[in-house]
Amino acid sequence: MTSRTARSLCAAAVTAGVAISGAACGGSSSSSGAATSKNAAATGTLNVWIRGSGDSPKAYQKIFDAFTAQTGIKVSIGKATLTDFETALTAAASAHQLPDMVVDDAAQMGDFVSQGIVLPIDKTTFTGADQLTDQAWTSATDLKGQVYAVPFSAQANVLLIRKDWLDKLGLQAPKTWDDMAKVAQAFTTQDPDGDGKPDTYGLAVPGSTSRGYTSWFWSSFLYSAGGDFLKPGGGKFTATLNTPQAVSSAQFLEDQVCKNKDVQPSALGDDTTATNKAFQTGVAGMYLTGPYAYATMDATAVKGKYIVVAPPTGPDGTAGTLAEGTDIFTMADSKQDEVTKLEEFMVSPDAQKLGMTAIPSATVVRLPVNKTVDPAAVHGNDPRWQLAQQVYSTSGHYEYDNAPNWTQLRQKMSDDLNKLLSSCGDVQSALNSMNSDVSSLLKQQGVG
Amino acid sequence: MTARRIRIGPWLYLAPLLLFIGVFKVWPTVWGVYLSFFHVRPYLGNQYVGTANYSKLFSDPDLRSAVVHTLLDAAFAVSGSIFVGFWLAVLLQGPARHVRILRTAVFLPTVIAMVAAAELWTTLLYPSPYGSVNSLLGKVGLGPEPFFNSPHSALASVILMQIWKNAPYDMVIFVAGLASVDREMYEACQIDGAGWWQRLRFVTLPALRPITTIVLVLGIIRGLRVFTDIWVSTNGGPAGSSESVVTFLYRQFSQNNDTGYAAAIGTALLVVTMALTCLMLLWRRRAER
Repeated sequence: MTSRTARSLCAAAVTAGVAISGAACGGSSSSSGAATSKNAAATGTLNVWIRGSGDSPKAYQKIFDAFTAQTGIKVSIGKATLTDFETALTAAASAHQLPDMVVDDAAQMGDFVSQGIVLPIDKTTFTGADQLTDQAWTSATDLKGQVYAVPFSAQANVLLIRKDWLDKLGLQAPKTWDDMAKVAQAFTTQDPDGDGKPDTYGLAVPGSTSRGYTSWFWSSFLYSAGGDFLKPGGGKFTATLNTPQAVSSAQFLEDQVCKNKDVQPSALGDDTTATNKAFQTGVAGMYLTGPYAYATMDATAVKGKYIVVAPPTGPDGTAGTLAEGTDIFTMADSKQDEVTKLEEFMVSPDAQKLGMTAIPSATVVRLPVNKTVDPAAVHGNDPRWQLAQQVYSTSGHYEYDNAPNWTQLRQKMSDDLNKLLSSCGDVQSALNSMNSDVSSLLKQQGVG
Repeated sequence: MTARRIRIGPWLYLAPLLLFIGVFKVWPTVWGVYLSFFHVRPYLGNQYVGTANYSKLFSDPDLRSAVVHTLLDAAFAVSGSIFVGFWLAVLLQGPARHVRILRTAVFLPTVIAMVAAAELWTTLLYPSPYGSVNSLLGKVGLGPEPFFNSPHSALASVILMQIWKNAPYDMVIFVAGLASVDREMYEACQIDGAGWWQRLRFVTLPALRPITTIVLVLGIIRGLRVFTDIWVSTNGGPAGSSESVVTFLYRQFSQNNDTGYAAAIGTALLVVTMALTCLMLLWRRRAER
């Protein structure tokens, strides 16, 4: 090879390297949604981004159509996706091309606030503010008491369990952790589907680190053990992940994965989509998840074969489970007056009912945040919704959505917990380490 | 006038591509390097943090672990792909029609989108006795293996998947290289009584050196930026055992919203990739003198 050729190839390599870095740092590029935002500004149409897929955008469209009919203000869904939604939003923020309004998980609030991309909500002038539950408003309030989102939907985890499998093995739905472990063991070892193969498991677990799922799933056990992630006070947080309650809940989960081997074999790499599939296809017989799963499950062969019960209580009888919300965020640079009108409409009883029933396969309002709406009645006295409402009200615990970056904390806990479950190691030392990791991150976020 | 026209002409032809590369490759890269010196907050104003993001690079144990995984992945996946690709090329060279059909069939994995390939392998390697591969292993008294689902085997499984996907690509380049080897050299060898192995060692391999360098450079670049394969099949887990530098970088950007740190990692990766590539090309140049 000549010196000139080598130099040429080297130059080509530099170009290729530049391409790599360009791909890696390409977050600053604008998205198609950003272009939509520009158009929206030109036409006066509100540009809304929604974290949702499948039939969800159709359900939102029904609500927006009703709003447009009432006010004349047009609404356009600029982006609706589950995958990398926040990444697209960050890219749009980098290009200063944010949509007018975003509907996303409540857990994103702290992050949005710390990025400065959402505007505060004035509850005193917000029409219908007093109709929303205090529990929902609290989840949209930061540490200093400033409200940064309008709650739109709520939910709490319940236990879906295969009734046909219980009946075949002569078992009752579990009420405590001990019951749950026994049922899980029976589902794993006693061939509940009767096909003569040991191909069933007790628990469906989304144990992937993606979006912090491991921690997300663990939280219901943590709450029912009487534990919590953090302790707030004086505008700061203290990590409480190495308490006896936290240890007992992580130990219970580790026992199911490592000792009893009662979870689906791919659990530690499964996100919620894969875990849904494990329950839908008869791989696992119990699944702790939100009531939004009713529509998902009812669209598959498992419809009619499962029942819904309250999550099992912890060792000392505590009833606790993860509560979550979907919030509406007013984005910086938005047409704020029109957005506020849309938000006020979206939490009205009529819109909340539309969100629950307009598209049966997509209940975008899971549990209503408007206390004048009865979810069971709206769903034709379906007892599953009544139970979800009861569990949410009596034992639902929100995560710390008001931390400056809760998703970062949840991701770290998920990584650490996934390591523990993968290595089947010592729980106390793993949680000591997790507590230390979370304490460091809290300090970095300025609230430790 | 004529001389000037000759100089400008080629650049005019190249201009659209150069413009495209400038806008979509070079500018984002320059912008990424710039952002690596900031705590990025688009709506609150970026804060200049000097070299803080770079200092963090050297003290982050998770990144260190991702670097090790990336190097292992690059080393084994690249050498494995080259090895398999070379032997496929040797076996499937020639103009015969049936060989062309076979070559096309072998090439198919390369044209499958990585996301689809990863989904396919996730299903094939399902870690229960009823997963396709484990079912076969069971018939010969082995397994079930956890494959993607264990920290001990996740990275190896990803590497195997990459070899399956990339070896046919390397094969095509080797086939082109083999076609350009002077046939008279083989005939001369044969007359001298050289066997199959000697022909391969003393004619084919030396003749393929420039091609091997290209395959190696492309493989190293591909190996160091490995992302989709891992993101879809293991998401970097379990227990971070298959986390690569780019999946880690993407996590910092998309999940932790630490754009400045992600940009610093991207810049460091760019520098390392360029340095490695240049070193390898210089080494090849010296070896060929």
